[in-house]
Amino acid sequence: MATVQVSEAEKVYILHGIRDDLRVDGRGCEDYRHMEIETDVVSNTDGSAKVTLGHTAVLVGVKADIGKPRPMVPNEGYFEFFVDCSANATPEFEGRGGEELGTELSNTLYKVFNNKHSVDLKSLCISAGEHCWVLYVDVLLLQCDGNLYDAISVAIKAALFNTKIPRVHISADEEGVKEIELSDDPYDCMRLNVENVPCIVTLCKVGHRHVVDATLQEKACSVASLIISVTHKGTVTCTRKVGGGSLDPESIFEMTEAGKRVGKALHAPLMKLLQQEESLGKTRQKVGFLG
Amino acid sequence: MLKSKTFVRKTRSGGVMKIVREHYLRDDIWCGSEVCAECKQESTVLQRDACIESNLCSYPHYVIPDTNVVLHQIDVLEDPVIRNVIILQTVLQEVRHRSAPVYKRLKDMIHEKEKFFYAFTNEHHRETFIEREPGESANDRNDRAIRVAAQWYSQHLKTSESDADGLKVVLLTNDQGNKQKAEESGLLVYKCEEYIKSLIGNPELVDRLALSNDDKHDITSSKVLFPEHLPLSRIQAGIKSGAFVQGTFRASRDNYLEATVFVQGDGEESTEILIQGLQNLNRAVYQDVVAVQLLPQNQWVAPSSVVLQDEGAAKDDNEEEKEEDEEKALRISAAEAARKPTGKVVGIIKRNWRPFCGMLNISQIKESTRHLFTPADRRIPRIRIETRQASTLAGQRIMVAIDGWPKHSRYPNGHFVRSLGNAGEKDTEQEVLLLEHDVPHQDFSQAVLSFLPKMPWTITPEDMARREDLRNLTVCSVDPPGCTDIDDALHCRELNNGNLEVGVHIADVSHFIRPGNAMDREAANRGTTVYLCGKRIDMVPELLSSNLCSLRSNVERLAFSCIWEMNHEAEILKTRFTKSVINSKASLTYAEAQMRIDDTTKNDDITKSLRGLNKLAKILKRQRIQKGALTLSSLEVRFHIDSETHDPIDLQTKELMETNSMVEEFMLLANISVAQKIYDEFPDCAMLRKHPAPPPSNYDILLKAAKSKGVEIHTDTAKALADSLDVARVDGFPYFNTLLRILATRCMMQAVYFCSGMDSDFHHYGLASPIYTHFTSPIRRYADIIVHRLLAVAIAADSTYPDLMDKQKQSALANNLNYRHKMSQYAQRASVAFHTQLFFKSRGILNEEGFVLFVRKNAIIVLIPKFGLEGTVFFDAKDKAGPKLVFDEEGPTLNVEQHTFRIFDKVKVTISLDASNIQHQKIRMSLIDPVIPGVSVPAPEVEPQAKKPKLDH
Repeated sequence: MATVQVSEAEKVYILHGIRDDLRVDGRGCEDYRHMEIETDVVSNTDGSAKVTLGHTAVLVGVKADIGKPRPMVPNEGYFEFFVDCSANATPEFEGRGGEELGTELSNTLYKVFNNKHSVDLKSLCISAGEHCWVLYVDVLLLQCDGNLYDAISVAIKAALFNTKIPRVHISADEEGVKEIELSDDPYDCMRLNVENVPCIVTLCKVGHRHVVDATLQEKACSVASLIISVTHKGTVTCTRKVGGGSLDPESIFEMTEAGKRVGKALHAPLMKLLQQEESLGKTRQKVGFLG
Repeated sequence: MLKSKTFVRKTRSGGVMKIVREHYLRDDIWCGSEVCAECKQESTVLQRDACIESNLCSYPHYVIPDTNVVLHQIDVLEDPVIRNVIILQTVLQEVRHRSAPVYKRLKDMIHEKEKFFYAFTNEHHRETFIEREPGESANDRNDRAIRVAAQWYSQHLKTSESDADGLKVVLLTNDQGNKQKAEESGLLVYKCEEYIKSLIGNPELVDRLALSNDDKHDITSSKVLFPEHLPLSRIQAGIKSGAFVQGTFRASRDNYLEATVFVQGDGEESTEILIQGLQNLNRAVYQDVVAVQLLPQNQWVAPSSVVLQDEGAAKDDNEEEKEEDEEKALRISAAEAARKPTGKVVGIIKRNWRPFCGMLNISQIKESTRHLFTPADRRIPRIRIETRQASTLAGQRIMVAIDGWPKHSRYPNGHFVRSLGNAGEKDTEQEVLLLEHDVPHQDFSQAVLSFLPKMPWTITPEDMARREDLRNLTVCSVDPPGCTDIDDALHCRELNNGNLEVGVHIADVSHFIRPGNAMDREAANRGTTVYLCGKRIDMVPELLSSNLCSLRSNVERLAFSCIWEMNHEAEILKTRFTKSVINSKASLTYAEAQMRIDDTTKNDDITKSLRGLNKLAKILKRQRIQKGALTLSSLEVRFHIDSETHDPIDLQTKELMETNSMVEEFMLLANISVAQKIYDEFPDCAMLRKHPAPPPSNYDILLKAAKSKGVEIHTDTAKALADSLDVARVDGFPYFNTLLRILATRCMMQAVYFCSGMDSDFHHYGLASPIYTHFTSPIRRYADIIVHRLLAVAIAADSTYPDLMDKQKQSALANNLNYRHKMSQYAQRASVAFHTQLFFKSRGILNEEGFVLFVRKNAIIVLIPKFGLEGTVFFDAKDKAGPKLVFDEEGPTLNVEQHTFRIFDKVKVTISLDASNIQHQKIRMSLIDPVIPGVSVPAPEVEPQAKKPKLDH
């Protein structure tokens, strides 16, 4: 994981600041940094989004492909996640340096997103037991400045919102051989309902308090953090503790409550923003990567 | 401005792929009109004065056809009258997608300067590009793009036209919806038929209109004649599940109710399925790719050996009863034992229609504009066309294209394409046979000619430095008289060590034809030079074939030499290949060379060289025959052509001299040496030639025929066959041996080119050589050019290029060469047949002796050795009761009344030209001896035509 070296004096300064609900960059403990979202940035994916959070930048692309359903759930489609920690983000990722982090991130993403409560997986089924849509979610870390989980989760939600799956029809001839027919109209496509897709809120325990959206410096002062995925209703669907230190039950409870609050508050403006962007249609000026 | 085009496609593995293409729009695409002052174009295509006499559009105008008009009415568009047409990129792309041949023709038209066709890239024009809208189908989008472009043009021309000559654009579409929308947006729009019919000056164009869908309803008769074809999706599913098989449809030449479908199996394996009866043939046309369903085994039939011709003029849709009778006759004749897998056509996978040559059968109803067209190729059904110029077209050879074959029509519907000229005229007939055999015979294009060396041409010092100087050798060439494309020359001299040095020098065509340029591609496509009687269709431009490459005497020429050192027993001690410069000392004919050898008084270098070659050739030939090479026979005919009228005045079979075989031996030797060399160097991509051993069943007819004369033929190996042919003699029948050899030739397989990496069997059966190729005639065969290139690379005299080493590409090339080679042979034969007819036309009736070559169910095939001519004597007649015929397949013998015909029987026939069917003029033979009452005719001094019933075939 990308880390920075922080001196003792700096640590004390950060710790004391957080104790007084005042962070180095002037935020409160439950405030996010400035966030920018743009969808449909990669034209050859079926859905994509780019999110910058402070200096953290991630790009998510969703590709839909036809595959075979998992034997246990023949009438559901599924997700595949892959997180690519490019050496652009930080030199530590060079070579195989980012592999461990990538695996850790994608494992968490499986837990959070690949279940029927987040997306209606049944709608991804084409014909039970034979064909289903597999959504390949590729995450590319462009820059690391702390709080990767939250940025990734927001980007995934935005990318899924943006995803347009081509509509297919199953035609069967008299011998019962099924043939998949693709609609030749590029506008004829299926959208996903992303209302219940959770967002991840990472809470960092710094001293006796916890902060949301920790920067790398704050992260360096923290011994442990809690990852909580929260839906728009405030339901916690997944929690995970990361970091070497320990958390006492009291503060876990506190942090969960804070996470619910923050997460709930995050969803509403996000959805509003996405719908606003969608409504612009083709008239929208694309920013892309150079803007 | 950048746009992106997005579409989704299904991949082969069943996945779905989203493809995004970048699409750039520009504002520097000009309109191409002479009128326009606004566009900064360097040259214009469309004329200012775009007038055509039309009673719909009296003003000058440009025509914009939509995709369907181009696809269906390409024949009309090709007419020189139609000019100033704007072809939109949208249309061009759609056409390309839907029909490759039409696309090529369209491209040719655009390049034709006289046509004033302008291709407007509207898809890249900033103002005419449109994006597909939600809910719009791809076709609708393209229609809209065409309308938008037409709109743009009419606006553009209006603004730029200063002197107000009222130039307009006219959109042609056959789509009602599109037309309506275009009218709403204020465009001038007509249906294609409307527009063409309005062209007052050129009424004949109407004939070329293809029948569109609504026209076809006119012909609807209540009766549905054919079963419906299955849709493609079901055919594909059926093929996948094994219910249907896919194959190429091959109609029978002799029987219009019978066809076979050739199914390419895995690897070498392939099967044939028999199709019998109109219903089962189900509107398939020769060469179509069809889906076939096999019938249950108890319905299998045997191929009939009846010769049956469709008498279409006499009977039309309402006379099926007779047809049914004919079909029944087919069934009954099926022998139980000889049944073959039989099936029926259930659907067409790919039509392979091309324009067909043939003649019109004028309808008996005087006012009728609908006529039947009879193609020259008997495997093609008659085609119904609509024309108002029937009276002028009668007696002409014309080309007709098929438009469709509805299920309620006995014949396919088509339209007139063009006239080739009067039937029976030499030029017309030549054109017909070139077209029918798919021989590319247009003049060489400018692009091809641009790759010719500049004249005057000399050998440069650089060439000289890289080549061996063999100018001092006594090289000479020996060819048939009148040969201008001399591609081989020979020399032989004694070395100081007592051995002989023999050289074969082949024209270095690959020096002039460089890989990949237009000339090379043209030559590769043509594949071979085609020799017709009195005409040669060159593979390479004449400057090369008759001058620069031709190894004429007393000029310096580039050559590729194969030089052996041999001892006096013709054993090869050393072989080497080199690029060289030679100076031939003499170009001789076979006869001249023979005379020099025989003339003991002559003792110059050339004669000595020839004698040396001749001596070695004899030894080589003996060795080859000992190894089991076959000497087969086929009669080749030579015409003496009148120098002024170019009509044949005499005809003789070709004679072979010792010198023929001398040249041949050394060519064989060179070919074998080169084959070995290139195969050693390039085991994967050598271009070789093989001659597969025929399957034993091929020999059945030969064995039976020989047996009937008490002679036994062994066919186990080539050697056994050659030996038994050598000893096969019958007393008092000197011609027997030749006849046997002619028959044996017919049992053989075709020799073919192939790429060594794609095959494992290299054996050349006829020459009894384990490996063989063609090296010695690069002027007239493309395979030799490839072999030259390979050999040049092998001896490091030239560089290689990727396609040469690509075995897939080589293999595809070999297939084309094989096809062209086969077609050129057919064309050659057809040309000989035509000249034979001309000859007999001038000769009237002749009585000749001949031999029965084959026995058929209702006919015998007779060979006249004097003319090398084969003809059929029929014993049954359509409109009168024929004699009693008993056919025995075992013999095979045919019993006519009292007389029994066997193979090799000597008969006497009268030969005359039957011109009753001008399309298929043919030599007709009738029997004189043996005399069979009611069958044979008296030896005629009289005109026999009047006495015999018309035998049409």
